[in-house]
Amino acid sequence: MENIANDFTINIATANGTGSQSANLILLQSLFEMGVPVSGKNLFPSNISGLPTWYIIRLSDHGYQAPGNRTDVQVLVNPATWEEDLAALEPGTVVVWNENSKLEMNRDDIVSYPIPMNQIARKINPKLAKLITNIVYVGALAEILGIEQAALESAVKKQFKGKASAIELNITALEMGRSYFRENLSKQDPYIVEERAIKTPQFFVEGNEAIALGALFGGAQLLAWYPITPSSSLAEGMIEWIPQIRTNDDGESTCAVIQAEDELAAAGMVLGSGWAGGRGMTATSGPGISLMQEFIGLAYFAEIPSVFWDVCRVGPSTGLPTRTQQSDITMLYEGSHGDTQHIVLFPGTVEECFEFGWRAFDYTERFQTPVFGMSDLDLGMNRWACSGFDYPTENMDRGKVVRDRDVFEAFEEFGRYLDVDGDGIPYRTLPGSGMAPILYRGTGHNPMGVYSEKPHDYLQLMTRLRNKIDSARDQLPAPILREEKECEIGIIYLGSMENTIQEIDDILEATGIKVSQCRLRALPAHSEIENFIDRHEKTIVLEINRDGQLYGILRKEIPIHLVPKLLSVAYSDGMPPRGKIYADLILKTLKEGQL
Amino acid sequence: MSEKRERPARAVKLNVINEPKDSYTGGKSSLCPGCGHDQISNVIINAAWENGIKPHKIAKMSGIGCSSKTPAYYLGQSHGFNTVHGRMPSVTTGAYAVNKDLLYIGVSGDGDSASIGIGQLIHAIRRNMDMVYVLENNGVYGLTKGQYSATADIGSKKKKGPINKTQPIDLCALAINLGCTFVARSFSGSKKQLNALLKAAMSHKGFALIDVISPCVTFNNNDESMKSYGYVKENEVTLHMTDYIPHFNPITEVEVPEGHFRDITLHDGSTIRLETISDEHDPSNAVAALTALHEAETDAKHVTGLLYFDNTKASLIEDLGLVDTALIDIPDSELRPGKDMLDKINAAFLS
Repeated sequence: MENIANDFTINIATANGTGSQSANLILLQSLFEMGVPVSGKNLFPSNISGLPTWYIIRLSDHGYQAPGNRTDVQVLVNPATWEEDLAALEPGTVVVWNENSKLEMNRDDIVSYPIPMNQIARKINPKLAKLITNIVYVGALAEILGIEQAALESAVKKQFKGKASAIELNITALEMGRSYFRENLSKQDPYIVEERAIKTPQFFVEGNEAIALGALFGGAQLLAWYPITPSSSLAEGMIEWIPQIRTNDDGESTCAVIQAEDELAAAGMVLGSGWAGGRGMTATSGPGISLMQEFIGLAYFAEIPSVFWDVCRVGPSTGLPTRTQQSDITMLYEGSHGDTQHIVLFPGTVEECFEFGWRAFDYTERFQTPVFGMSDLDLGMNRWACSGFDYPTENMDRGKVVRDRDVFEAFEEFGRYLDVDGDGIPYRTLPGSGMAPILYRGTGHNPMGVYSEKPHDYLQLMTRLRNKIDSARDQLPAPILREEKECEIGIIYLGSMENTIQEIDDILEATGIKVSQCRLRALPAHSEIENFIDRHEKTIVLEINRDGQLYGILRKEIPIHLVPKLLSVAYSDGMPPRGKIYADLILKTLKEGQL
Repeated sequence: MSEKRERPARAVKLNVINEPKDSYTGGKSSLCPGCGHDQISNVIINAAWENGIKPHKIAKMSGIGCSSKTPAYYLGQSHGFNTVHGRMPSVTTGAYAVNKDLLYIGVSGDGDSASIGIGQLIHAIRRNMDMVYVLENNGVYGLTKGQYSATADIGSKKKKGPINKTQPIDLCALAINLGCTFVARSFSGSKKQLNALLKAAMSHKGFALIDVISPCVTFNNNDESMKSYGYVKENEVTLHMTDYIPHFNPITEVEVPEGHFRDITLHDGSTIRLETISDEHDPSNAVAALTALHEAETDAKHVTGLLYFDNTKASLIEDLGLVDTALIDIPDSELRPGKDMLDKINAAFLS
């Protein structure tokens, strides 16, 4: 039997609230410390305790981050999903299962490793047996796959920072799991873990925490939020970091945090801070953005800087609150009633989460319009390898704010909505300054900010707003291109699909197709997007939703002669994207496109 | 700007910061002639002027409705924000968080505050948000032409349509129950009382609610309406005479009224003087305040005056734990942590 090193997927089936999360993170971290390219996906329920949870770990020397197409190693701890999980396995799968679960192992075409997890756990500490059960399977896996003890112990120490008794307990449990396998079973499978040289030191971080840090380095002055999965850890990340990086020795901070009564109020507070001249933001998910629509229109029409982060989950309605989707592209881009258009940023890596975290404030103040960041549960709540965050390369861009009376006096005429520079972006003064005070309003207004229903004023205003947002196109992050010189098939994609695109590309290229990648990073779309479509024979717009939301937007905005070149591949089942599913859909779409 | 203004040659009455009253006026009102709201606007102008507040240091906030249009008619030197229906409290809260140095005067109506925006009102009270909240209460939706609002009294009848049978929401009672730190009711026709209450509210630190019955002359000023001028004049029960003594006037020089009175010291050192009319009302007693409201309701009367006052609670700004400088005045260099800090964070993640 030939060994299969660093190229397999482990699926761990547990119930939530049993401590399995920390066991799984220890496993992930230990692989990471051995230099193995690895990714972890937590599939958790919308529930606190007792419902099924799966954790999927992909080891891949290719660097593939999406879950593999099949499970190679299955850990069975949860009786509730036992039969279903077992039935789904392909022959030859390794199954590490809890012998104390009183459930039957009815497959004889798999590699079976029964481990009496509860029994071992009770031996260590009867009171904590439930929590230790999980760490026992990590120990057994370590023995089976050859994970180094040093890496495991380091991961345990990271997980339980400084809690000596917890560290000791877990290390004992790991060793017990290991020794049980060593003494009672023998390895009959090909899967092994091999250490790899670490070229660049990296660490694991969740996208939500990266955005939180980015926002604080962006000078955020107000976080107004309402808890909602999967965005809560973004707000909580800021709350955790503010005392460390935005607070003086007297414990006084420069970033206010208000937990609002609902998403409407959170949005209102963000607008209030922007109106007053501050940098305000909120973090929410699709249902929250739905509730914020009215304020989003006000921010667009009255030109109030405001930052909204949407960590998408599966819609519509309450949907699948703990599953992932690129669900809100259209809603963010065209949010609120009437004609609107918004700037939307799509980070695809944790490094970009940090970068767009601070850049969002610069854009919102430069263009005096709401700016959205769109992440999703996969990017936001799973851990991703990161080489470190880069310090902002530019000073904060506060936009056209007149704070100085001398500057103010130099204006021949000052009107809040006068297009002085011809770029659609007017100048503003701040409340409290005494300069050019106006009553901001969501009703129609003329260039002086005075109420108006005159057709000319309305047309002029709406045209200017359109031009203003349009002018942002090439000032926003440009797409990331990885092109083949043949220019056969192009794929435009965005956000967290970054983690799956290379695998998709490799599957497609294995069929003989030359594939170019184009990761869109912002809307309105950069002019390079149009050129990319123009250069390629066919371009697939690939996204994690049902309707092809980005496709719809691009189709509407590109020149009409390019439209026939554009094809939509949109798919979402709530799971993090798996390469083969999307690659197959692309092949099918291309085939249909040729007919 | 007030600093540059020279004293006019002709004697124009100036306030304590040498500003004429004109510095506090606004645009021409487009409300119906005789509207209670216009009277309230005039009192706001007068109170701000008399209190000697720099006009540009006021922020005037509102939601949507007839009342919410009024910020255009007063304080033309102040920035303002006519926001969305019922959501003025949240916008004000966000502005306050980044600039605590302004005096926030919110104006709202009964549609805005008792229906669509009741949640935001409640939570602004709960946070003891530092603002003056003037509720212009007429029992009807004016801009949409005369539907009952949630404060319409049982048995009251507007100009057109049936008698209202739905229980009204008494926002003063609600506010007292929520622990609101300044709760008053007044009447747009009682200028002197409203003026004293408004000035006191401006001197208060925390949420100050003034529910002002403000008759709608177009849709709800008929004799059968319990929020008409005629009805309120006949059925107003005043808790006390109200006087305001600003902190810049030595209290020793103020004429002391005959009979019993109670002085309450406000946050900025000013005083509100409550002169007993018949039974003494103790505004620190929430039960007494609620009793006064319930008794008035039972008798189909409107009780006015300072119902409840509490200066012991921290306001929102203290809870936020911010630096002393208003956040918008902090230079960019202090808002963005240095590169060394990010290096430290990266290193800590790697270790």
